Amino acid sequence: MSILTVKNLTKRFDGLVANQDISFDVAKGSITAVIGPNGAGKTTFFNMVTGVYKPTEGSIMMEGQSLVGLKPHTISRKGIARTFQNIRLFGSISVLENVMVGLHNHLKGSLLGIMLSLPSSKREETFAQEEAYRILEYVGLAEFLNDEAQSLSYGAQRRLEIARALATKPKILLLDEPAAGMNPRETKELTDLIFKMREELDLTIILIEHDMKLVMEISEHIIVLDHGEKIAEGNPEEIRHNPKVIEAYLGTGAASTAS
Amino acid sequence: MKKYIDLMKSYTDKVKDNKLAQGILLGTYILVTTLSLYLSGKSVIAFLLLLASLLLLHFTKLGRNTKWGIAALVLVVLLPLSASQGDAYQSYMEVGTLVGIYVAMALGLNIVVGLAGLLDLGFVAFFAVGAYTYSIFATPQAANFLSFGTFPLGGEYFWVFILIGGFVAAIFGILLGIPVLRVKGDYLAIVTLGFGEIIRIVFNNLDRPINITNGAMGLSSITPPKLFGLTFTFPSQFYYIALVILVLTIFVVRRLEYSKIGRAWKAVRENDIAAQSMGIHLVRTKLTAFAIGASFSGMMGVVFAAKQTFVDPTSFTLLESITILVMVLLGGMGSVPGVILGAAIMTILNMQVLTELTNWLNQLSLNNVISIPDALSPAKMQRFIFGAILILFALYRPQGLIPAKNPIFNAAKLKNGSTPKGQEKQKQEVSLKKESASYVNLDS
Amino acid sequence: MLAEILHTLPQVLIDGLALGAIYAIVALGYTMVYGILELINFAHGEIFMTGAFIGTAILITLTGLGWIAVMPALLALLLVLVITSVLTGFIGMGIERIAYRPLRKAPKLITLITAIGVSFLLQDLVRFITEVKRGNYILTGPSMFTDRVEVKTSSVLSVFNDASFKESFIIVFVVAAIMMITLDFFINKTKWGTAMRAVAQDRDTSALMGVNVNKVIGLVFFLGSALGGATGVLFAIQYGTIDPYIGFILGLKAFTAAVLGGIGNIRGAMFGGILLGVLEMFASANLTLMTNGVFGAEYKDVFAFAILILVLLFKPEGIFGKVVMEKV
Repeated sequence: MSILTVKNLTKRFDGLVANQDISFDVAKGSITAVIGPNGAGKTTFFNMVTGVYKPTEGSIMMEGQSLVGLKPHTISRKGIARTFQNIRLFGSISVLENVMVGLHNHLKGSLLGIMLSLPSSKREETFAQEEAYRILEYVGLAEFLNDEAQSLSYGAQRRLEIARALATKPKILLLDEPAAGMNPRETKELTDLIFKMREELDLTIILIEHDMKLVMEISEHIIVLDHGEKIAEGNPEEIRHNPKVIEAYLGTGAASTAS
Repeated sequence: MKKYIDLMKSYTDKVKDNKLAQGILLGTYILVTTLSLYLSGKSVIAFLLLLASLLLLHFTKLGRNTKWGIAALVLVVLLPLSASQGDAYQSYMEVGTLVGIYVAMALGLNIVVGLAGLLDLGFVAFFAVGAYTYSIFATPQAANFLSFGTFPLGGEYFWVFILIGGFVAAIFGILLGIPVLRVKGDYLAIVTLGFGEIIRIVFNNLDRPINITNGAMGLSSITPPKLFGLTFTFPSQFYYIALVILVLTIFVVRRLEYSKIGRAWKAVRENDIAAQSMGIHLVRTKLTAFAIGASFSGMMGVVFAAKQTFVDPTSFTLLESITILVMVLLGGMGSVPGVILGAAIMTILNMQVLTELTNWLNQLSLNNVISIPDALSPAKMQRFIFGAILILFALYRPQGLIPAKNPIFNAAKLKNGSTPKGQEKQKQEVSLKKESASYVNLDS
Repeated sequence: MLAEILHTLPQVLIDGLALGAIYAIVALGYTMVYGILELINFAHGEIFMTGAFIGTAILITLTGLGWIAVMPALLALLLVLVITSVLTGFIGMGIERIAYRPLRKAPKLITLITAIGVSFLLQDLVRFITEVKRGNYILTGPSMFTDRVEVKTSSVLSVFNDASFKESFIIVFVVAAIMMITLDFFINKTKWGTAMRAVAQDRDTSALMGVNVNKVIGLVFFLGSALGGATGVLFAIQYGTIDPYIGFILGLKAFTAAVLGGIGNIRGAMFGGILLGVLEMFASANLTLMTNGVFGAEYKDVFAFAILILVLLFKPEGIFGKVVMEKV
């Protein structure tokens, strides 16, 4: 069963085509990778799904509902969360608070209740702290709870982005180059985390990644973009042997040499 | 020699951790300054030193409730009592009242600038809105455009108008915010600056076609507040009004800062795109900051109008807006204790130090000790001083005198949680699963 | 009503062009700095004001020395313009060096606050220097180019009233035009102009290509401030009386002009300035008439800000600007 369906998705900036006529389905509970050379339009695709950009043409449906034209915060409430390629943490607030921001829409305290310090808002605040702490434990960052987010190591910052996204309790999690800048050990831990999240949290995961070893290892389905167009789609084995993909990555002529 | 230094050091170390020692030292300090103010009657220095005890209090390790208790004792009893002996009583209480008014305003601006990261350069407009809201109805002015009711309203209405003033200012905040908050961040500064000027120009000219604000003439003989037959006319009485509102303001700000709303403000400040994808409604979050900040300013506007018994557009210039901004930057953006300190310093500098200094210099010139041209008199140098503070702090200490601190959470407490230990594991699994029953999204 | 508006139209246009030319050049300073640093340089209005004071001070000194009487007026003007613009140019560069450069990596909020601080500091410095020297901070310069020229616009269309202008109007307009054309040429045709455009596009890449970014930014501040200072002189000559607070509101309006034309766009700023000047003069001449006396000329500043807010709302990229997307 597909959870996300993209049809004829196109995005143009001032004549520059970033995404051209992209269509595919994402199966519920799957791990799908979107790959392609730099500038292929992968992040633009994520930005359209999360409402940061509005598609020029085409449709994005999640469980039968259209996401086109919705604002990012509405899309977040519908159950899509993401991380960013260029890390976008709330740098000067603490690690725990970063995760608590992700819980925003799951806290119902009203402005008045907070101002009057009603017992219910106090209880909820305690709950938010505990919940955020559990999520930190889940991704393995619990020991850093009181540190400033910007003081974390690069790998830990990427994990914190994931923790923050998990706090919104998404159905679909978009990871934009989660392993970028990580050493092999960190990448291994990340792989485990991604598997664990999918199993335990009932998530559908879509990721953009350049680390082909990681991609081939964890994804069930791969979509290849090049110059804004989808050039191939399939399971890792199919993609590995697809001449078009090899050409896109290695240049013209490479495909024939490789085979 | 070294032995003595070590000995001194061990003493200071002891004091650093010893609550009792700190309490005794602070108590002695308060006693001495109170007594000296009481005995000298008119001593600016004693007055300022007594106020400074609150700063010392902030840095002690005493418990929160103890701190509040001591602060209440100093502000409610000791300060007014010891100042009441001299002939400068009312002028000290005037300074005290203004400090209260400006601290509340600065706390309001701190929400907008410090927490939400939106530079508002027309903040005084909301102060003006509050002041005029009360003034129009507390003078015969309202009769010009209302056919019912008798104006001026009695002084009993003042108390309701504190709320009304805050509310009207909040509405203005939202009205300004709706168009403005959609534009890019750095334009906001210039648009709010323009808005501040617009409000002033409008108030200055709204004496026709219908006379609402009485234009440049301003509104005078504003009804003083009344409570149980007691009429408030002296600064020593307004002091308590300002103090009560201020305490409520501090309470509310503290609550908001460590709530989901405060976190949303900080998230928007740190990275608005990430904040949005965490489900935060950008415009609504910014509007809340604008409205709440504006309402503090509006409430104090009402108090200001009642205290002065006269308002005109010249009280609400750009210089005022910048003064409040200086208070926030000087104290520390986003830091409540910092902003309180910053506002107190700036108000006292404005009201007391600059005038005292000017008088002193004039005295010296009169006695031919030195000759200072009138152009350089400190009271006229406000813009220079404010400008210099802004530049120096932005360059060398952008975090302000008392930097903002993130709350510290206790990991052990969070781990054990409010649920019994045995269920912890189970709860973790359940709560991480999406759509768990306890999350009902009321916002959407 | 239409007839009455038409009667005054020629005069409104003349006054509007004079004011608009001044807005246009000050707007250039805002737009150049914004284009290169994405910073609203609040102090730019104060540079303009400082220029007005420096220029007037030089004129007063020259008059005192008796030079003005013997020198051709145009030569004196040229001398004053050159000295003033060099001085304000260096002031602008100095401000960038001391107050903005150390904050280039800081949050924008902090830089904006510094800019406000610089603006206040300059206002007060000029105030007390003038007050110490003259005993009063409101300054009136020697009158120059004050002969009035009559324009028989009524002979063009009978509904027009005749209009008139001071000779200084021609000076303002011609000097402004020369400055704008020179700047346009400089930016589009010279090596340094190319470097400026490159830095505005992408600072890091320009640095890699061997452009000295700091030098270019300094140059931008020098040029913008020199133009601003020279405009201050023109303003003083056209309107006679100046005080240290003229820069703030005028700067705000010039910024509005820059936004109107599309911020970062040089030609847009020129066009926006002229447009705003004419609109404002039109409003101040006709608001009373058009609203049946409800709003008078005193609302002309409100009018300018209203334009700013409307533009930001409905066409934030301005008339000639391009839509820019933030990279996510």
